[in-house]
Amino acid sequence: MTVLILTSDEDVTADMVVLRLGEAGVPVVRFDPADLTNGVALTGEYAGDDCGGHLSVGGRLVGMSGLRSIWVRRPGDAAARAAQPSPWLTQESAQALYGMLRCSDARWMNHPDAAPRARHKPWQLRLAQRSGLPVPATLITTFPDTAREFAERHRDVVVKPVSGAHPQEPPRAVPTSRVAPGTDFSAVAFGPTLLQQRVAKRADIRLTAVGDRLLAARKPVDPDAHPDHVDVRFAPSVSPWLPAEVPPRVAVSVRRYLKAAELAYGAFDFAEDADGTWWFLECNQSGQFGFVELDTGQPIAETIAHWLAGDDRPVEPYTHDKRDAVP
Amino acid sequence: MQPFTLNYARPAGQLDVTAPYAYDSALQLNVLPDGRIAATDHAILLTLGTTTSTAGSKTHFDD
Repeated sequence: MTVLILTSDEDVTADMVVLRLGEAGVPVVRFDPADLTNGVALTGEYAGDDCGGHLSVGGRLVGMSGLRSIWVRRPGDAAARAAQPSPWLTQESAQALYGMLRCSDARWMNHPDAAPRARHKPWQLRLAQRSGLPVPATLITTFPDTAREFAERHRDVVVKPVSGAHPQEPPRAVPTSRVAPGTDFSAVAFGPTLLQQRVAKRADIRLTAVGDRLLAARKPVDPDAHPDHVDVRFAPSVSPWLPAEVPPRVAVSVRRYLKAAELAYGAFDFAEDADGTWWFLECNQSGQFGFVELDTGQPIAETIAHWLAGDDRPVEPYTHDKRDAVP
Repeated sequence: MQPFTLNYARPAGQLDVTAPYAYDSALQLNVLPDGRIAATDHAILLTLGTTTSTAGSKTHFDD
């Protein structure tokens, strides 16, 4: 039985999992749906009360019935690199590929029904509330007056993209940013704006969930850090990510969230305040994990490989220097 | 007419860095010019930021 990985060629983070699967002797077929009809071929047939099909990738052939799991990592748009690409061909190819894969009995990480829903940050915030995770006061609005009133009421707020996407042409990044007092909110009318009460954090938390396994990492904030340095991705780093223990109540809530979201994988971001409370910020259903593994040594890639291989038993008991752990 | 959120945008400089490895379809892995598997060279991965939380944002919503 084969693990199918759908991702871009340059996805070196996926390589970390391919390596682990190879070491375990698990067959893998990896390709980018962008290469459909250009090195990747498929066929499926429905006859009587049966159906079957297979994929051909670079000389590898795998039957739909031979798939044990499908990892939708970072795939390109279907047939985007075909000889004559078009939006129509992409739609046709996506329907054929994902439609046929849905007919298999493979387990998904993550299922194509669950993944798009899980990307919606407003939905994430509500699910986090319902799962028992503390959520900072948040406003999403196109009303400038409402935004102004929210900022005045909460005194210290940040702004971040609703989607998490970064604008292109030209390529730009939009970090979570602190909103200065007296800011003019009139431009809120030109696009949905997400404002959130700033958490005075002492650390950032990245919790990577793989199946039932939770691996948390903590990055302490420099006590002298400027409060404008909100976004850990863009702030000066004074410490690597360190392994952290997951508080039992958080673990219960995170598992409740994953079950409701029907996710096999999720990368949760929290802000830890001075009281040690983990405030939910978001859950990326395809969040990166390589940077955490490289810093902490936590076996995230191996855990993903075990899940994809259909082996949910714990990997080698993970131990780390308890001096680095957060109780 | 620029949306409020874009007032906080900044140039995305590092996203266009070219990685010094290439995909090997036989191995299904990325390989360095000297033949080593890129994913085993943690120093290079950390230097490039390839696996960090801002990588991949050009085409994907999730970090």
